[in-house]
Amino acid sequence: MRNISLFFRSVVKSLTLLFFLAITANSVSAQSAAEGVTLFKQKCTACHALNAKVVGPALKGVTDRRSEEWLIKWIRNSQAMIASGDPEAVKIFNEYKPAVMTPFPELTEENVKSILAYIKEGDKPAPAAPGDVAAQGAGASSNGISDFALWGLVAVIVIAFLIIVVLNRVVKTLERMMLKKQGVLVEEVELVEKDRLAGLKKLAKNKKFIFFVIILVVIFMSTASWMGMWNTGVHTGYQPVQPIKFSHQLHAGINKIDCQYCHTGAYKSKNASIPSLNVCMNCHNYVTAAEKNGGQLSPEIAKIYRALDYNPDTKQYGNNQKPIEWVRIHNLPDFAYFNHSQHVNVAGVKCQKCHGPIQTMEEVYQASPLTMKWCINCHKETEVNHKGNAYYNKLIAAHDQLKKGEKVTPAVLGGLECGKCHY
Amino acid sequence: MLLKLSTMKENILVMNKLRIVGATFFVTAAIAVISSCSDKRSTGLEYAPNMYKALAFNPDQPNKNFRNGQTAQVPPPHTMPVGFDEVEEAYPNTPEGYQAASANLVNPFPATTANLEDGKILYLRMCSHCHGLTGQGDGSIVQLGKFPGPPSYSKGNSSRGGTMKDLTDGKIFHTITYGVNLMGPHRYQLTPDERWKIVLYVHELQKLQ
Repeated sequence: MRNISLFFRSVVKSLTLLFFLAITANSVSAQSAAEGVTLFKQKCTACHALNAKVVGPALKGVTDRRSEEWLIKWIRNSQAMIASGDPEAVKIFNEYKPAVMTPFPELTEENVKSILAYIKEGDKPAPAAPGDVAAQGAGASSNGISDFALWGLVAVIVIAFLIIVVLNRVVKTLERMMLKKQGVLVEEVELVEKDRLAGLKKLAKNKKFIFFVIILVVIFMSTASWMGMWNTGVHTGYQPVQPIKFSHQLHAGINKIDCQYCHTGAYKSKNASIPSLNVCMNCHNYVTAAEKNGGQLSPEIAKIYRALDYNPDTKQYGNNQKPIEWVRIHNLPDFAYFNHSQHVNVAGVKCQKCHGPIQTMEEVYQASPLTMKWCINCHKETEVNHKGNAYYNKLIAAHDQLKKGEKVTPAVLGGLECGKCHY
Repeated sequence: MLLKLSTMKENILVMNKLRIVGATFFVTAAIAVISSCSDKRSTGLEYAPNMYKALAFNPDQPNKNFRNGQTAQVPPPHTMPVGFDEVEEAYPNTPEGYQAASANLVNPFPATTANLEDGKILYLRMCSHCHGLTGQGDGSIVQLGKFPGPPSYSKGNSSRGGTMKDLTDGKIFHTITYGVNLMGPHRYQLTPDERWKIVLYVHELQKLQ
């Protein structure tokens, strides 16, 4: 189910992308604005946006606020203008201190004019929005359909069964009343009870019924013992609800951010480490996913801001900070020692080898069983790459000494390491 | 199961072969289907969990013993992890600190092949999704239009004066440590040694045209 929905989602995504590209290609018509948009993206977006204050001010309507001549001078060398004491230039400089605008002497007057033309025209509201919404809707429904259909089916069966029982009752009472009206004697209540007991006895002697019951019991017992034997303490497929709907598919899969950018512990420590929120803020001080949320800050990113007591308007952090309580998925028993750096750094094992196709997981689940058998199988099969691997230098040296028939002392075998005696 | 069915055959029912096979198939299929159902939100059956769960607190667990309820406490001020130095005090995140870092800091690592190789690995891991594989400011998230592109290492001017290709050891180190403009600080993700190795590799990228 997961694979099918993933496939469906990727198809929908690529289709929307094509659709969106086609429309944006049509909408930018003016030649100079088209040149301007390229230059704007190359030179300006590192610090400016049209509608929001980033590092520098929002640029929408800047052509109305200042003259073109002033802007050309400012963009090509703002520092010179400040030094010459232009009052407006000094005012802006003081407002946005300590940020200083990069001088762009390489831009010609024509270049600057085309950038200004783009700013004037602005970003046309993308008409792809309805398609986007439809795609999101489709994605959501493809996600939920399995559970919904299943429970719906169960509900329908239960309701149908209840209706049959009730109708049966009604039919029986009606029949009895008809018989009464016709003057036929109705059986005594006692008789009916006796009949019921007799029915049970009859049922107990019914071989087909007994066979059916036995089959049910066998199915129940076997299922219980099978699951008990194989799944006790094995968490494969465990997918708890996390406090933030963080998508590894988006961050690692589509955006191609290296796993270890966030999980910095993986190559140098025992734990891969859950990134602290300042790592999120390296991008999410700018990225608010507003285009997916109708111009509003994404509710999931808002959770980061709330935890950090961060005000996106003033860009200030408050004091009432609380950690995000992520739910741990991969959990080894207390008696097993596992070290990430040993596997990632020394052995060069890829994250996916143990964590599964993490770059396709909208919501992370445990892909491997993490049982002892699973560990041992990999340790039996994997070939150790000792060439150019400093971790194995001493081991190789000790073996060389043995081969040459030299004296091998405990010191050669790591007997002088602190941890051999002190722990 | 077959054994059970065969006793059944003798004692309870007299069935033909087809029925036995059919029943066996049905029972096996039912068991397979039912036992494949599990609640993905739960860890499932546990036996003797006290052997699995640590008595000691994990760093990411809640902890009633501390006032803020966390096991991971912020270390006291001026404590340093092994391999870190107090660059924050000597070269603060100010224009003066930036210039001082440029004037005084020199990369302790020589540009050997091994160090450059380390620097390249770290650069690709920590920087390339924005700065691009060759430092031209065209990384994967920039190309997707999700994050504005940073300036190229080899072309144009720096927002803090001078050209990008002439940025010194200290300036690059200071920028990785504290960030600048839209770039965030990376001193929490990289040790000073790792930052210096990245500086080595960035110098290589500055030479590209």
